Amino acid sequence: MRVLRLWKLSTVVALTVGAAASASAQEPEPPTRQAAIEQAQGEKDKDLHPYVPGKMEGLMNRAEDILVNGVPRWHPYFTSAYYGGGFTLGAGYAHHVSAYNLLDVRGSYTILGYKRLEAEFTAPRLFHRRGALSVVGGWREATQAAFYGLGMNTSLRDRVNFDFQQPYGSGTLDFWPTRRLLLLRGSVELSQWDQRPGEGRYPSVDKVYTPATLPGVGTKTTYVHSQGTVGLDWRESPGYTRRGGFYGVTFHDYTDKDEKFGFRQLDYELIQHFPILREAWVISLRAYAQTSYLKPDQQIPFFLLPYVGSGSTMRGYLSHRFRDQNRIVAQAEWRIMVNRFMDAAFFYDTGKVTARRQDLDFNGLKSDYGFGIRFHGPFATPLRLEVARSPEGTRLIAAVQPIF
Amino acid sequence: MLLFAALVTGARVVSTKGPHFYPDDPITREPESRDASKAQPYFMGSMYEMSNNLFVTSKYQPAGVRAKNINTIDEVPDSNWFTNRIGSTRVTVEELVRGPNFGAPPDPSRWVVFREKTSGSHPGFTARDGKGQTWFLEFDPPYFPEGATGAVVVATKIFWALGYNQVESFLTTFDPMKIEFDPNATIRRPSGARTKFTQDDINSILERVARRPDGTYRVIAGRLIPGKILGGYLYEGTRPDDPNDVVPHEHRRELRALRVFGAWTNLTDLKASNTLDALVTENGRSIVKHYLQDVGSTFGMCNDLYEWDLSYEHFIQGDTTWRRLFSLGFALSPWQTVKYTEYPSIGKFEGDVFDPRKWRPQTPTTAWREMRDDDAFWAARRVAAFTDEMIRAAVHTGEYSDAAAEKYLADVLIKRRDKVASTYLTAVNPIVDARLDANGRLTFENAAFAARVASGPATYRASWFRFDNTTGETQPLSETQSTTTTIEAPRGLPTAAGSFVGADISVESEGHQSWRKPVRVYFRRDGGGWKLVGLERMPESAPATPI
Repeated sequence: MRVLRLWKLSTVVALTVGAAASASAQEPEPPTRQAAIEQAQGEKDKDLHPYVPGKMEGLMNRAEDILVNGVPRWHPYFTSAYYGGGFTLGAGYAHHVSAYNLLDVRGSYTILGYKRLEAEFTAPRLFHRRGALSVVGGWREATQAAFYGLGMNTSLRDRVNFDFQQPYGSGTLDFWPTRRLLLLRGSVELSQWDQRPGEGRYPSVDKVYTPATLPGVGTKTTYVHSQGTVGLDWRESPGYTRRGGFYGVTFHDYTDKDEKFGFRQLDYELIQHFPILREAWVISLRAYAQTSYLKPDQQIPFFLLPYVGSGSTMRGYLSHRFRDQNRIVAQAEWRIMVNRFMDAAFFYDTGKVTARRQDLDFNGLKSDYGFGIRFHGPFATPLRLEVARSPEGTRLIAAVQPIF
Repeated sequence: MLLFAALVTGARVVSTKGPHFYPDDPITREPESRDASKAQPYFMGSMYEMSNNLFVTSKYQPAGVRAKNINTIDEVPDSNWFTNRIGSTRVTVEELVRGPNFGAPPDPSRWVVFREKTSGSHPGFTARDGKGQTWFLEFDPPYFPEGATGAVVVATKIFWALGYNQVESFLTTFDPMKIEFDPNATIRRPSGARTKFTQDDINSILERVARRPDGTYRVIAGRLIPGKILGGYLYEGTRPDDPNDVVPHEHRRELRALRVFGAWTNLTDLKASNTLDALVTENGRSIVKHYLQDVGSTFGMCNDLYEWDLSYEHFIQGDTTWRRLFSLGFALSPWQTVKYTEYPSIGKFEGDVFDPRKWRPQTPTTAWREMRDDDAFWAARRVAAFTDEMIRAAVHTGEYSDAAAEKYLADVLIKRRDKVASTYLTAVNPIVDARLDANGRLTFENAAFAARVASGPATYRASWFRFDNTTGETQPLSETQSTTTTIEAPRGLPTAAGSFVGADISVESEGHQSWRKPVRVYFRRDGGGWKLVGLERMPESAPATPI
């Protein structure tokens, strides 16, 4: 861009001075100021051309077209098949099938060989812009997902790996009856979890556990997962906000057609942002609890147990570090507006998993803390970089979405 | 000093006979001698322009040269960019209130919608009124009722008076019961396709704007600019397809001066897409006319109710970014503590903490960085020329329903006007309007004293010289001085027609060190008297106004 500017400036100066010089050399001295200016204009008239955007300008215009005018096509895709897959690379191709409705086909591959391939159809303007529909179908495989045992008293040395493959298809409908504030969400998913021996340098789950000691080992389960959410959302945008909040409850039902691994869950989530000093600081708080309810004579497979430890729950711990039937997570952030497109944040996470719902209290919590930088626009946070510290070590987190 | 100094300098490279002043100096109109019909539309992307301004222009080192489109007496001649109005000629209150609105207002008895709105931050669309005229309609957001529309209409009058080409803009009413759709009305969808404009599209706009209790909407209607639209102009370089555009835009004084006018009115959104070039035919020739099209980001109007830092910082600014990052926000910025009296129709706009030199637009432009104190002085004289009565009359055209809000806006504009004048009329030697009569009496004005932003005793000294217009050589005469703005010239000034004399006029006044730097004036003997043909307030090369 700098080169372009210098080129343009030098062109102009050369044009102006050169015009006068050549005019003086070849044409009579202009008798008036007006004639002198007209000479310069005459010289320029010999070399007119349309504005030619530079390479950078062309690229950014293209990016703007994608971001603002919503005409994506090829796009990067960083969502991995499952946690713990390592660095993820992927791509997608989006195509509008009508004025607003979009079909996006995408896939990703991680450094540890996790694979995801899926297609999503989105209809963002239903019911006079009160509803949005998403229909997803796909397949994924995680080859060496970690499991450390049940409860909070496990060790990193307890790690085993498991693999699963999962074809899935779902439909989700968001509905805002009053356009803002009140959110109703319903979703149905049909999927099959095929749990297989894990790969990698840690023992496979089936070498340490049996189906009797750990429900779900070696199972192939077909679920109908239905869920419903009622929420109040008055944030500027879920992707980025400095004020407002979200209070929501979600009900899940997992129905196993073989009636072995069916269960229900309730999620409770409270998010509140408190702007201070004209939003130069924001105290952001999140409390999240998930409780599980077993169906008669059925169990929750280990790979669907609630967890803490991840880039979105307790950031100082490895992904899905702790698992059990219930969980509670509380997060607090002190966010500092650095400029219009960048925030810094100090954060503190705490939480635990429990076997019994009545143990979801503030005793025996694990915690971590850290610092992060977020690059954001008015409505989205495309990059979040964080360093988190816990008794189990220091973790670096790079994410393409906000923490909450 | 001279218009197109580079051109004259270039001429001297190959010819020692080029005159310092041409017979037609000072010119009052910048010629547009060539046909510009080959000019092609180009619309620079906002993302590129913003990034370029934030990361490249912000590092730009000003050339520190005198504006290149001024005439020999330090004034901006009329052009397709600028027309001398207030500060140069008398503008009446009636003319100011009318502003650019020479045509009839829209007929709101019917609106035929045919296209979305393609510019401006607030919701709107394009429609034809009851008389078939095309207008761009823009509404108020719900958190700024009367604010966005009021800002456009008031600022349009002010910037018209300041000399910029403005769009005819009228406050009017939009009644959703009187809406029709052109059979060919279309709107661009996210898919990129243009499809039929529907009632639901209108609804999606009306749901996001301020509605009156009677179900109608207050709108600002901007008349379609005549001619072929070529896109916005840039604040640097020239249009490569316009033969008449030979002065780099960063060296156009009226564009540099937007740093002053922008500070006064808080015009924070200085970007290409808020300007417009149009190819029009005048005197049988196609020329490009340049509009400062959208001045709605003035006063306290912005895209969001919570943009507290606006006008205090660019969107990204190195020093404040590092300060906040390393202090974790404990080093407070001025915008965090300034007290506002907020009216919904005005927004965050105040005059007590306002400092013209510290004012910042959303993103810097090259012209903004190139402004020097002589450009600012020129601009400040125009700002100071607005009387209280004129400001209140201009604000009244905003038709604010809250009289207290109207009074507040005018009061703040008056306060900010006085600060602009106080800052920039005193920053350089304020000698203006120099005249040398046939009897050898030099008279002038002290613009700072005239604007009452400075006072006290002053001694004016004039060092006289003869001037050879062919060689540029000077021959000292003598020095005269006075404690008034009239100084006698030395005896024996030449009397031959076409002869030149000059004077370096400096001012001794306590507290005004910069006034000691002389203003150089040149006079040419014309007929029986002297004509001012040259005025240099600052040297050709001098630092730009610090940022």
